[in-house]
Amino acid sequence: MDFTPVLEGFAVVFEPQNLLFCLLGVVVGMVIGVLPGLGPAATIAILLPLTYGMDAVPSIIMLAGIFYGAIYGGTVTAVLLKLPGETSSAITALEGYPMARKGEGGKALGAGAIASFAGGTVAIVVLTLIAPVIADFALAFGPPEYAALTLLGILLVATISNGTKSKAFAAAAAGLLLATVGRDGFTGELRYTAGSLELTDGLQFVPIAMGVFGLAEILYGLERRRGGGAALMTADKILPTRADMKRMAGPIARGGVLGFFLGLLPGGGATVSAMASYGIEKRLNKGPTRFGQGAIQGVAGPETANNAAATSSFIPLLTLGIPANATMAVMFGALLIQGITPGPQLVATDPDLFWGVVNSMYIGNLVLLVLAIPLIGVFVRILHVRQSILSPIVVLIVCIGAYTIGNRIFEVMVVVVFGVLGYLMKKNGFDPAPLILAFVLGSLLEDNVRRSLLMFGGDAGQVAGRPIALTLLVVFAVVLLAPIALRIARSRHGGPPGAPSAEGPGAAATGPEPGPGQSPGPVESSAREAPADGPSRT
Amino acid sequence: MPWSPRSRGPLTAVAAGGLCATLAACGAVTDGSAGGGSYPSGPISMVVGQDAGGSTDRIARAVADGSKGALGVSMPVENQPGANGAIATQQVAESDPDGQRIVLLNASLMTITSLVVPEEEAVTLDDLDVVMGLSRDDYIMVANADTGYETVEDVVADSGDITYGTAGIGTGSQLAQLLLFDQAGIEGREVPFDSGSPALTAVMGGQVDVATIQVGEAMPQIEAGTITPITIFSEERNAYLEDVPTAKEEGYDVPVAQYRAVALPEGAPKEVKDTLRKGLEEITASEEYKRFNEENYLTPVEISGEEVEKEWARLADEYAQQVEESGLELGEAGE
Repeated sequence: MDFTPVLEGFAVVFEPQNLLFCLLGVVVGMVIGVLPGLGPAATIAILLPLTYGMDAVPSIIMLAGIFYGAIYGGTVTAVLLKLPGETSSAITALEGYPMARKGEGGKALGAGAIASFAGGTVAIVVLTLIAPVIADFALAFGPPEYAALTLLGILLVATISNGTKSKAFAAAAAGLLLATVGRDGFTGELRYTAGSLELTDGLQFVPIAMGVFGLAEILYGLERRRGGGAALMTADKILPTRADMKRMAGPIARGGVLGFFLGLLPGGGATVSAMASYGIEKRLNKGPTRFGQGAIQGVAGPETANNAAATSSFIPLLTLGIPANATMAVMFGALLIQGITPGPQLVATDPDLFWGVVNSMYIGNLVLLVLAIPLIGVFVRILHVRQSILSPIVVLIVCIGAYTIGNRIFEVMVVVVFGVLGYLMKKNGFDPAPLILAFVLGSLLEDNVRRSLLMFGGDAGQVAGRPIALTLLVVFAVVLLAPIALRIARSRHGGPPGAPSAEGPGAAATGPEPGPGQSPGPVESSAREAPADGPSRT
Repeated sequence: MPWSPRSRGPLTAVAAGGLCATLAACGAVTDGSAGGGSYPSGPISMVVGQDAGGSTDRIARAVADGSKGALGVSMPVENQPGANGAIATQQVAESDPDGQRIVLLNASLMTITSLVVPEEEAVTLDDLDVVMGLSRDDYIMVANADTGYETVEDVVADSGDITYGTAGIGTGSQLAQLLLFDQAGIEGREVPFDSGSPALTAVMGGQVDVATIQVGEAMPQIEAGTITPITIFSEERNAYLEDVPTAKEEGYDVPVAQYRAVALPEGAPKEVKDTLRKGLEEITASEEYKRFNEENYLTPVEISGEEVEKEWARLADEYAQQVEESGLELGEAGE
């Protein structure tokens, strides 16, 4: 392949302005991400308005920086407070918090930083090599392929999400319904706009994300306070010893590869890959510490995996325009605000942006590694600030941000409404991620199904002549039916009927052979151990 | 779970915080328009009814960049996307006619979108005063290179089994293509996309045979040879694509293009309007602005406000008449 645009991308990254925004993004991301309960999606949603006045390249570089900063911030709270920002760092808390209790909190954070760097870097190298290949092939992606892919994406998100499946599907259905608001792009008919001119273009994604992720998390966090949570641990002696490094090498290598591939799949790759990595490391563990009592391998593997997955989830977004998870959905919104429609043409038409963003990830990960270790003391201090002081500040930022979207109060109202909705959802055990992703993918799905039918002249059977779309639909059917088949098979063999709550959708998507004799994969076993909604909830 | 009294305190604080933000933000908006005396009394808000980053937005920013030099004040661009620009346009029409709030208009909002939306939603120029015209953005029909189409005749020859992409209903892209297909008697299946860029991707990937998009969008791919230019819809040839014939030369009457102009609310004092027009004339005469037009394949149409109003009214009538005569329905792609 031609590496000139890649190298030019480095020239873009090394522009002082872009370096500065990368640095700024990582620091701000870490600071906000360290606030209990605020994961990467919430952090990006809250900080999105910072980018409105900026050029496309620095703003996306900054958001990418915020993204890894926030992921690491989540690691800090997971280790020190047992309060993960999102589910992928819930796995980190399983070993990280026990380590902190043993007085090895600093070491856990150091290991997390090193593992994140390794996972991120490995994934970027592979991304650099394969993204253009995928983009070439992406021209073959027409409306039928997009329709099939979004259908699969929505199903995977609903399947993988936390809580019960019926609740996840209900949330996804609500998201699909919300996506229908606005002018029908094919007939010009208005749907559910209640005579409001503001709604003719449909509900906007950004205020919804700010409400459901930002405001709702704050409301939920206020109620939870610190009372229910675990005690805040201290962190010192950050650098792992040579013996620790030796123990971390294997988990990092395995986690990186695993994370990269699972991250490509639509539907929350980071969590699944962290779970899978944890499961594998647990099985391979040779000591000296048992899992559950603060094994450093159990921090290093999942941290590598979730960062590798987080990075590789940029591939479907930047090459196909399909956000693979809720965080990428927020990124999708950020790109649209900048007037960039992510898709197969991005590499060709906007190489500066594409390679600038990709290459900034090298720098961002390095910045993260360099900054994370000395700043750990600062984070610990942030965690000491009372929620009643922090929360109003964040809410203020959210409201101002929402106002600047359309320079009117309407979006602020949307944030408030969806903030309350998100809060009620969380309180009642509904994961908001399927709602957000179904909302984003919903209009893509509807439009592309209708476009496909127009292309086919109304004959849906013609999809048989499109191998990619057909394959995706077959995978869809397998993911949908495999758990049911498995359950039937189990009950016939007298197995426990109520078990299949997390049927390893990752495994299902890569071609499962659901036999009754098979032992459940690492995904499933660790999923059961992983607390569904943040350990502090119990 | 019942509300615990413990949690109410901070919640009230949150609500109050939100309210503060709201009030502060409102305050900031009304602030700029209170000036009296000499014009301009402060920064002039340039309202754009489209998202940041799109072609309309970029034109607004190119104009705004020259404001400091020409009018002595800065010109912040305010994006108020929604309903194809109707929200922003109405909002400006209702504000004080003191010249501190102006809007960048897309002709299609008045001339084409009005053919699709119900009457009460249609935006007219009645409450606005156009200051001057800016430029024309041409529509071009392009074909996937593999189809072998090079002229309209080639497309006519394949009538019946053709799929064609548009940039969405109520756009110039759709109107131009429907009128051409109707006049040329081409039978085909319309596939509307959300904007020009996905329509372009679809032509490149062979998902549709032809599509009508804006010249600026098509140019890089025309140069790369992945798509073939078929015909341009404006009344004269495009200076950047001299060898592509217009639909008119091919014998079809489809004068559709996207025009842009700057307007302020009706009723502004003459001095305000004159100062603004002089400032805009100075901006559009600058080298930077001219270069911007060239880089974006825009043809300058820097005519007076009166001419713009007359021209757009003529176009609106003509489109309405053509659509009515041909019995076309812009909003029936899905039926």
